[in-house]
Amino acid sequence: MTRPLLEVRELRTYFSIGRGGFMRRKSVLKAVDGISFSIHEGEVLSLVGESGCGKSTVGRTLTQLETATAGTAMFDGRDILNLTHAEFRPLRRDIQMIFQDPFASLNPRLSIEQMLAEPLFIHRLVRDRSEARERIAATLELVGMDAKSMNRYPHEFSGGQRQRIGIARVMILTPRLVIADEPVSALDVSIQAQVLNLIKQLQRDSGVSMLFISHDLGAVRHISDRVAVMYRGALVETGEKRQIFETPRHAYTRKLLDSIPRLEKRIA
Amino acid sequence: MALLDIRNLDLRIARGSELLPVVQGVSFAVEENETLGIVGESGCGKSLTALAIMGLLEGSAVRIAGGSVHFQGRDLLTLSPEERRRVMGDQMAMIFQEPMTSLNPVYRVGDQIREAILQHRSMSRRQAHDRALDLLELVRIPDPVRRIDSFPHQMSGGQRQRVMIAMALACDPKLLIADEPTTALDVTVQKEVLELMRGLQTRTGMSIVLISHDLGVISETCDKVAVMYRGRIVEQASTSTLFSNMSHPYTLGLLGSIPATDHDVEWLDAIPGRVPTLDEAVPGCAFHPRCFAAKGSCRTVDPGAAAVSPAHFVRCHFPQGSSS
Amino acid sequence: MSVPLSIALVFRRRALATFGMCWLLIVGIAAIGAPLLAPFDPLEFDPFVRLSDPGWPHLFGTDHFGRDSLSRAIYGARMAILIGSGSVLIALVAGGLIGMLSAYFVRLGHLLMRIVDVLMAFPALLLALVLMTLLERSVLNTVIVIGIVYATTTARIVFGMTLKLKRDVFVDAAICSGARHASVLFRHILPNLVSPMLVQASFIFAFAQLQAAALDFLGLGLPPEVPSWGNMLSEERIYVTRAPWLLIFPGALIILSVFSMNLVGDALRDNIDPRFKNDIAGV
Repeated sequence: MTRPLLEVRELRTYFSIGRGGFMRRKSVLKAVDGISFSIHEGEVLSLVGESGCGKSTVGRTLTQLETATAGTAMFDGRDILNLTHAEFRPLRRDIQMIFQDPFASLNPRLSIEQMLAEPLFIHRLVRDRSEARERIAATLELVGMDAKSMNRYPHEFSGGQRQRIGIARVMILTPRLVIADEPVSALDVSIQAQVLNLIKQLQRDSGVSMLFISHDLGAVRHISDRVAVMYRGALVETGEKRQIFETPRHAYTRKLLDSIPRLEKRIA
Repeated sequence: MALLDIRNLDLRIARGSELLPVVQGVSFAVEENETLGIVGESGCGKSLTALAIMGLLEGSAVRIAGGSVHFQGRDLLTLSPEERRRVMGDQMAMIFQEPMTSLNPVYRVGDQIREAILQHRSMSRRQAHDRALDLLELVRIPDPVRRIDSFPHQMSGGQRQRVMIAMALACDPKLLIADEPTTALDVTVQKEVLELMRGLQTRTGMSIVLISHDLGVISETCDKVAVMYRGRIVEQASTSTLFSNMSHPYTLGLLGSIPATDHDVEWLDAIPGRVPTLDEAVPGCAFHPRCFAAKGSCRTVDPGAAAVSPAHFVRCHFPQGSSS
Repeated sequence: MSVPLSIALVFRRRALATFGMCWLLIVGIAAIGAPLLAPFDPLEFDPFVRLSDPGWPHLFGTDHFGRDSLSRAIYGARMAILIGSGSVLIALVAGGLIGMLSAYFVRLGHLLMRIVDVLMAFPALLLALVLMTLLERSVLNTVIVIGIVYATTTARIVFGMTLKLKRDVFVDAAICSGARHASVLFRHILPNLVSPMLVQASFIFAFAQLQAAALDFLGLGLPPEVPSWGNMLSEERIYVTRAPWLLIFPGALIILSVFSMNLVGDALRDNIDPRFKNDIAGV
């Protein structure tokens, strides 16, 4: 088998809670405590778990929004955890992140054009504004938005549309790895389905690799190739999607699957 | 006679000088010991309906424009605020989505439960304390003798929701209204809380109105379901009838939007478009711009509620399933 | 609210704020048109009309040098605007930068904010007095000193707001796009601070008036010959029984202007991002 695009080994991210100081002891929260996984080119790996299990911290550490305490993450042969912020900056084009809250993740003071043009100019992917506008228009259409929306501001859009804009901001850079942190959980049921379909479609068409972080087992089954189940900072089980959902080995995975309210019970 | 009988409830919200309809012609009944589920997306009016029943809309921008809410034979909308207060918390109680913000962070949970009891029952503080202890045991809080002196922030989300349920049950209400009680909780905790609610219902014989956006939760917990879209009940039936014979295109769309966990689907049958905002007027059926079955009359005529089978009502010109 | 403040929204159905704005406009007009509006030269002595009662031609009366009080009051509006805007500018630029940088760069923040804390331990007037005694009496120095005094409170407020904004997801998103620190600070965070800073500015403007008047009164502010409301109070204070109007007029002008600016500030505050409402509790 070829070398994976991303290979994470024994990743640990600890936070110190409370400022240690006079008469106070510093305590450590082990948000991520030694997890290993890999993602191949064009593959979707889901990280599933309940709130507080550390799954979001994994994504935030891989994008250097948090600092890793230990471990390695080889991306295309380079350890991205050892890079300084400045060294990591050019790599941000390849490693992009979709955020959960479509209301908080778009700067209210920037127009959609300003927002989408920013990464293009940072990474020198366009020469001038007209070229940027062309690319923005094409990307907006790719995510199912009208190209004219680039002249408007975030507050003019609904949650689903905002999340599409968030996805456009990611896809406009043609990244190689997308980290999607609960990308649909803030949306209404009917909008969730649209956005899940869109993410799946874009992933297929572009062949981008993806780390899909979610607590929603349905969404995970819909979108991923492989699944890693996380519990209290560690992975309890990793496997092919069908294996995880149909023949779960770990007791926690089984408990998780058993807890999903079923529709079919009554239908039968 | 039904315990709770709502007829043609109309709610309007004040926007500037206008009054925009947010809930229109909502009617349903809840029998004793029965669970009714109200399912719909945000802004469909399901929570406002609950607040109207509880009389919690006073002071908000929402007005009750018409209809009746009969509880044990009395129309709550005609009661004086004083009479109403006596019914609330005693005969009916409500629990909310966010158990952290519904509990006062500066009081111990035991004190809060005790206050809830003493507001409606005359007993000594000692007796109220014992009753609070019983309630914590009833909602299966581990080690209640110690937990009764905890502050809300010392408990997990699931435990806080159990405390909320204990407070709601303080006076053995006949009706419990639960507004998204498990949405903020993890699935494993959600399962426990739902099981707890079902168990309590069997024990006390109370009725429950469960409001949720999650069809799965509704299907596991409820005897009857009302599906709401943009302020109207678009489909209403017993849970088994609804899930075996879904008729409204919106209900079908909701079901198609949920990714299954027990088999693989290539693409989800998502409902296109988005819910129109309040000030966007939609002529005809409110769902027609997003509906796969919309034809000419859907764009002009608002369909009334019609029975496709006994006790199965659909608000649609072209109900699915039954005809095919 | 995510859209910028709209002036119409701020003043609609707010009679007091509208009154405040009108008064400030009058002060503004007086300041700009002082040479045309003032009936006499504010510096010209006239020994024949010392301490004359209000009446024609000296509407506000004259002081003990025989200078026309109305003319001095009109020129005083110039000083009021100059001192207000000057100290607002210094306080916002210096305080804003210190606050933003301290919140964004944690280590630097530990150092800078401790200095701010030390300065804030002094009561505002005392700090101004200490600084003024080190400097010469001049308009520029007065502006600088008052600016520094309010830069400390501004730094604290901006520090808190930037900490909140820094945790916002859109800042993470900007970082993930590859934005540099300068871009995150000035392109993503700063525009979100503009409306609350505007509110802060209006309060500083008001308090700077009081502060300047107090310095003048204590003989440490503007040079005595400069016509300012504070100097008018200070110079004529011994005539309070013989010619009370010499104190009543400038005193009323100070109170009215401070009050007006506060009313405008309150109205502005009601329209900003609710998250920041409690950060700006005056200066």
